Amino acid sequence: MSYSLVTLWHERQRYVPGVLAVGFSALLIALQCGLLLGLFSITSIPVDHTRADIWVGAPQVLSVDLGRPVPESYLSRLAAQPEVEAPEIYLQGFAYWSKPNGATELCIVIGARLDDQALGCVDELTPELRSLITEPGAIILDESELGRLGMKGIGDVAEISGQRVRLVGLVHGLKSLAGPYVFCSLGTARPLLHLLPDQTTYLLARCRNPAEAPAVVERLRAYPNMSAFTSEDFSFRTRMHWLTMTKAGIALGCAAALGLLVGAVVTSQTLYAATAASLREFAVLQALGIPRWRMALTVLAQAFWVGLTGIALAVPVVFGLRELADHVGAKILLPGWLLAIAIGVTMTMALVSGLAALRSLRLVEPATLLR
Amino acid sequence: MLADGPSLSARQISRSFGCGETRTIALHNVSLDLHSGEFVMLMGPSGSGKSTLLAVLSGLLHPDSGQVHVLGQDLWRQTEPAREEFRRRYCGFIFQGYNLFPALTARQQLEVVLRWGHGVSGREARRRADEMLLQLGLGKKAGLRPSQLSGGEKQRVAIGRALIKEPLFCFADEPTSALDWAHGEQIIELLRAAAQERGTTVLVVAHDSRIVPFTDRVLQLEDGCLAEPETARRSELWSVP
Repeated sequence: MSYSLVTLWHERQRYVPGVLAVGFSALLIALQCGLLLGLFSITSIPVDHTRADIWVGAPQVLSVDLGRPVPESYLSRLAAQPEVEAPEIYLQGFAYWSKPNGATELCIVIGARLDDQALGCVDELTPELRSLITEPGAIILDESELGRLGMKGIGDVAEISGQRVRLVGLVHGLKSLAGPYVFCSLGTARPLLHLLPDQTTYLLARCRNPAEAPAVVERLRAYPNMSAFTSEDFSFRTRMHWLTMTKAGIALGCAAALGLLVGAVVTSQTLYAATAASLREFAVLQALGIPRWRMALTVLAQAFWVGLTGIALAVPVVFGLRELADHVGAKILLPGWLLAIAIGVTMTMALVSGLAALRSLRLVEPATLLR
Repeated sequence: MLADGPSLSARQISRSFGCGETRTIALHNVSLDLHSGEFVMLMGPSGSGKSTLLAVLSGLLHPDSGQVHVLGQDLWRQTEPAREEFRRRYCGFIFQGYNLFPALTARQQLEVVLRWGHGVSGREARRRADEMLLQLGLGKKAGLRPSQLSGGEKQRVAIGRALIKEPLFCFADEPTSALDWAHGEQIIELLRAAAQERGTTVLVVAHDSRIVPFTDRVLQLEDGCLAEPETARRSELWSVP
């Protein structure tokens, strides 16, 4: 076992604040970023949970929930592309939901084709559910939104834009950030969104070979009065819009940065104090001619072990809290790359703290041992 | 076991601290020679400059003037890395406090010097540390930490740390001050053995006159000056026990 590890274990009480600070930083970074990813992944559900390769909408559309009406006749522009298979329309927009108690709630109405080949119908809508909403006025909600919309269960009725709708089914995992998603047929959605018969919000298309989508999008961008995206681009654009245009991303980012700063300061001070406590021992080694860099390496090794221990403590807590968040309806996404970044940043922070603590070695002066 | 020429030769060493009215002269034109295998004691009242002289001779404290010739070179005309290299290769130190790392065992305290200072492999460092601890009578205490050792045992570990690399010079500052005479005598015997058996030049700063009979020579420092001729032999001044 290395001498730094032996020291760390023997004087573990001294190093506890540093370990906890590193763990706290790793926890905060992973959770804040995971929460951010989870939060903004909700915003692009209509894009991510459907089968279209290409999305066409109004010019300069910033995010999928901010679509504006475009003429249905633009379908011909998509149909003219040789790589594209049967394009279709897709209706989406905000509408006011009237609760049974008279209060109103903003909701997002999504109307799509419902056949087996439909591109705009979310994956969660099973053939049975799709069959149920072919009926005019029939809608499907995410189960978690019932309370928010004042509904008790299937069969309840409410009003959207002054028109009566009836809840015929429920889905899971399609909670929304801006307003509850209301899934229905094109026929039901159009009057709820006050769209004219020749208007649509988006035009969707699928390519015979999905790899050709970027090239098709490039060609479609030459057309005036509309914008075109691949589904990956539109999903990313939507998330980035929410990230940059709302304060949520900045606030969560600042909290993570603050956690990192607190972790760095506490870790640095812990290592500094631990090193300073052994100054006389280090001075003896220096008198014996052991180079200063060798002692610095020991301090850095201690920083490494403090970092590793803190991270090892934080990881199970991160996953535990993710489960807990899942139970209370908050989505935390922890992809491998995010964990790798969180671990990398935290470990770098610990090592930088170790570098900062090296200033204590400047105080080592072997001549002072001779009194 | 004295070699012909001096292994360390100091000439006209002066060192002062502070400036202006607060300036204190710690050493004034001190000259001396130390020989290989010689056990020399440096005595003197508090504040006489003993520790300062030890620090200057061992390359730890720069003198204001004078030269320290060792191994054919003027120590204080060398660069700091060169002096560090000199101490690493040739010097062992024993200080007043034990200054042992609290987390490391007696064996590890010794291993550190070999592994960090001399790039010795872990297995070889362990073997040599165990051998040294055995010689110091600490064979059964190799796995104990400083908190589990007595004062005498800790000082013996500190001596082991100073001698494990078999230095040409061993500088000791009051190595017995915190020990009763029974333990102190053991320590002095160990240092004398290092001088006699290994040819190490041992310079001990101490107040305790009971050490005198064990030494080859005694230097008396008063107000920064050597009071006795440094060439005087202990046998001329003190009776052999």
